[in-house]
Amino acid sequence: MHSFATWLYASAPSVLIRNQEVWIIPTIQSIHILGIATAVGSAFMIAMRVAGWMGADQTLLQTQRRYGPWLAGALWLLLATGLLLVLAEPPRELDAVSFWMKMALVALMAVVASTFQRSVRRHDERWETTLLRRPAVRWAALSTFVVWAAIIFLGRFIAYDQIWNRLFPGIKG
Amino acid sequence: MDITPWLKALEDSGVATTIRNSSYLFPSLEAVHVMALGLMLGTITVVDLRLLGLASRARSAERVSDEVLKWTWAAFALVALTGFTMFTTNARVYAHNTAFLIKLALLAAAGVNMLTFHLTAARSMHHWDRKAAPPIGKAAAALSLVLWVGVVFAGRVVGFTTTGQQAKEQAPPPTTIDYDDFLTGGASSGPPAAPAPPPAK
Repeated sequence: MHSFATWLYASAPSVLIRNQEVWIIPTIQSIHILGIATAVGSAFMIAMRVAGWMGADQTLLQTQRRYGPWLAGALWLLLATGLLLVLAEPPRELDAVSFWMKMALVALMAVVASTFQRSVRRHDERWETTLLRRPAVRWAALSTFVVWAAIIFLGRFIAYDQIWNRLFPGIKG
Repeated sequence: MDITPWLKALEDSGVATTIRNSSYLFPSLEAVHVMALGLMLGTITVVDLRLLGLASRARSAERVSDEVLKWTWAAFALVALTGFTMFTTNARVYAHNTAFLIKLALLAAAGVNMLTFHLTAARSMHHWDRKAAPPIGKAAAALSLVLWVGVVFAGRVVGFTTTGQQAKEQAPPPTTIDYDDFLTGGASSGPPAAPAPPPAK
């Protein structure tokens, strides 16, 4: 992976981004943060509806139709800006333990969110009549906050990845 | 009024010193700051889009804002707390950083905008509970979105322009003249520099 990162760093698109004005990377990062806000906000609204703490005047399907596309759109925006950030500084991201842990959790949440969205669209009656009444389902909704929080945490720690070597000597090769 | 001694006192506080001497506390504060600002900005957007009539149009405006804004305020409290704590670790540098001052100005403008909304359009909310807000309410909602996007950009620039910087220590005027020190060129005068915050972008 390190040799790939080095190769990518020297590649034309990577050089192109880095050689832009100094504000290009902070700008991409800021758009990435706005994507985080949109994703967190919509995931929050859906999870709180499932947990029964919010939006009881709307059915789950209505809530899903209102916020689901925003969550999906935000995740695509995060993927696009994230790819640009990897391209701009490949070793910073690809050699980071935090980056790969974050990607594993992002993949997990992408599967969870899309499975949930499909299930609500197809079985909205069943969600409304039985699933939303189960305490386990409500707890599962609230526990997604922990995973989103971990993703944001790991994302910020890409810039400080050397701390993993202090906690687990040798982890960074 | 010169606030430099106050800023210096913040930097010398136990909390600020502990954070500076730790390799993970400052990044953890940043991470909590981003999480909480995500929730704050996400929920603000829900309300602003409702006011603009662009989303949740079928829902009562009053219900949407009542339900969502208490979480916005809780998140804001956490954003402000983590933000202030990070500020104390390098207060004199932040206080003179242009991006930081722009961020504070934008925050103040967002506050005034919110206050204006509550004193005007929000008072007649029951009249437009099932519709988009009147023009002044829409203007406040649009301005709110613009200002918060500006706050995020300015905030990210603060990280890029302050990391690793230290305030210049002013040597205190000598109380007694030390001729030995004078002869060696005064190399031993002045307090030691504070340790730099952890490097990052």
